[in-house]
Amino acid sequence: MILFFLWLTITVLIGILAPQFLTFNYYVGVVLRDGVEIGLVALPMTMIIITGGIDLSVGNTMVLSAMLGGMVALRFGGAAGLLVTMLIGALCGLFNGFLIAKIKVSPMITTLSTMFLYLGLARGITKGDSVYSYNLASGMGNMSLAGIPVQLFIYVLMAILFYVILAKSTYGRELYSIGLNENASIYSGINTERVKIIVYMLAGLMSSVAALIWLGRFNALKYDAGYNFNLKVITIVVLGGTSITGGYGDIRGTIVATLIIAVLSNGLTVLNIPVAAQTIVQGTVLIISLVSLKFINQRKIRQKIIKVKAPTAQ
Amino acid sequence: MNPTEEKSNGHKILTREFYLGAFLVALLIFLKFTTKGFFALNNVMSMLNIFSYTLIASIGMNFIIITSNIDISTGALISVICITLAAVGKMGLNFWALLLVSIIAGALLSGINGVFITKLGIPAMVATLAMSQIFQGALPLCVDGSIYDLPPSFTWLGFQAKIFGVVPASVLIMLIITALALIFMRYSSFSKKLYAIGNNAKAARLAGINVNKTILVTYLIAGTLFGITATILATASQRVTTTMGSNLEMTFIAAVVLGGTSTDGGTGKVIGTVIGALILSMITSATNYLGISSDWSDAIKGAIIIASVIVSSKSVGQKKRILGTTNVAVQSGGR
Repeated sequence: MILFFLWLTITVLIGILAPQFLTFNYYVGVVLRDGVEIGLVALPMTMIIITGGIDLSVGNTMVLSAMLGGMVALRFGGAAGLLVTMLIGALCGLFNGFLIAKIKVSPMITTLSTMFLYLGLARGITKGDSVYSYNLASGMGNMSLAGIPVQLFIYVLMAILFYVILAKSTYGRELYSIGLNENASIYSGINTERVKIIVYMLAGLMSSVAALIWLGRFNALKYDAGYNFNLKVITIVVLGGTSITGGYGDIRGTIVATLIIAVLSNGLTVLNIPVAAQTIVQGTVLIISLVSLKFINQRKIRQKIIKVKAPTAQ
Repeated sequence: MNPTEEKSNGHKILTREFYLGAFLVALLIFLKFTTKGFFALNNVMSMLNIFSYTLIASIGMNFIIITSNIDISTGALISVICITLAAVGKMGLNFWALLLVSIIAGALLSGINGVFITKLGIPAMVATLAMSQIFQGALPLCVDGSIYDLPPSFTWLGFQAKIFGVVPASVLIMLIITALALIFMRYSSFSKKLYAIGNNAKAARLAGINVNKTILVTYLIAGTLFGITATILATASQRVTTTMGSNLEMTFIAAVVLGGTSTDGGTGKVIGTVIGALILSMITSATNYLGISSDWSDAIKGAIIIASVIVSSKSVGQKKRILGTTNVAVQSGGR
């Protein structure tokens, strides 16, 4: 709720200072469109962080899948490119999940090393060259339906899907359970290995979807495009109220946080504030929200945890 | 994972550090016979310089990770110190003054991280993430791209300070710091507190350790080490850019992890970090001399870390379990 008001306040404030910001074309066509890629990856990242894990490799999964897909598309057409992109994304995620769940390497270390690996593979395979967009990806990045960019539909669809999975399905409950107490989850009959592998695969898959949109939007992609992407995604998830230590958080928070970051970064551009200052504002917002969340919501968080625990105990 | 396997984990000669050292020696021998010029004086010295600054910061990172915290603002923090150094270096300060400035700046900035983590209770991951954004944002606002035309007094360490005319002085700094770190980890009671906190912060507090103060001091120590790394990096040329330290934190964390420190905290040795940093600082040069395009060096880095982590995961898992069940965290932490 606090976040929602924060978003509203920022939107109105920037709207007053720069009226063109609040026109439909700009707000939907530029501001919201900018947030889609990060928002898409933030959805599964919320789930991962809820299980107490983390995925630092998302940015480079994105780059690697977009590049391989782009190269295949050059030779075999757009459909093959799309398929390969998603396949590579899922495979990258599966590899992360396998190392984390089966080999029991900590998520931080696994995804740190696969981050290097995917980045290096993307760089090695393309020899540092750019990969260019193709018809299908361009469609996902640039097409509009009834004046609304097509990727917004994808995002809304995915957001609803992930919300339902996390909040209403057994699988979602299992994620919370793992985040709160993994051993207890194992003893209560949850196949934690399967749950974890799936969640990292989802992250890989969503990264590849984001990759398609990104490639379409910018027309070309170099190996260093994923730089800092992981940290931006984590910023959104944490800003959305998900606890980095796991067990607490929801998709709604992440969605609103995506809106806030999208509005902030574009709004500050409209107000002619340099990009560097925007980064500071982002960091400051993150710290302030964390500190205030800590003081205001401490009691609420405790209640929520008990609520979450109840269904899994049955 | 089952009890019988745990029991057989008795012998301690074949430690992770041993395997890692063996891998390093094998790698060196391999490079000796397959490449020409890898062991040429110039290349060795340039690698030693990279190794020096990587190791100094990695030792700081190691302390932080042992307490089961993390610092992902290190890269940005080092950039900030580099620019600060360049700004004061323009006035013609000598090396010792620069070193002092960098140490103070490092301790102060890293101290901010420490305060956020201990006093405000923000998880280290998030606090340092936010700080790194603030650092990254602040830099381009203060400086336009880079500070250049720095006086010879500034680049003294990088260009003139050579031991016997060949070995960069940064190596000497690195050796002193490594020796200090080894002694510190072996004999000080403070280091035992780090392991205790990393293993179980609550238990450590109940055992009478001032957890918050210890973590804050750890960040201060790490900050001074980051400062020294920044000095070596900045003084290597007459131009200091705002992106000098970008992404370095990942290399430091990788060196620590490769050296056998678990990011869950409570384990890890300085000697492992030394070997880890050495391997990582050799890779770029090694791939060059093996005739592999440098485009592949990141992939090789990642593959080495993954391989080492997989190989050791089983034993690490067992160690953790044993520690967890018998509560001998403090004893086994040291050495």
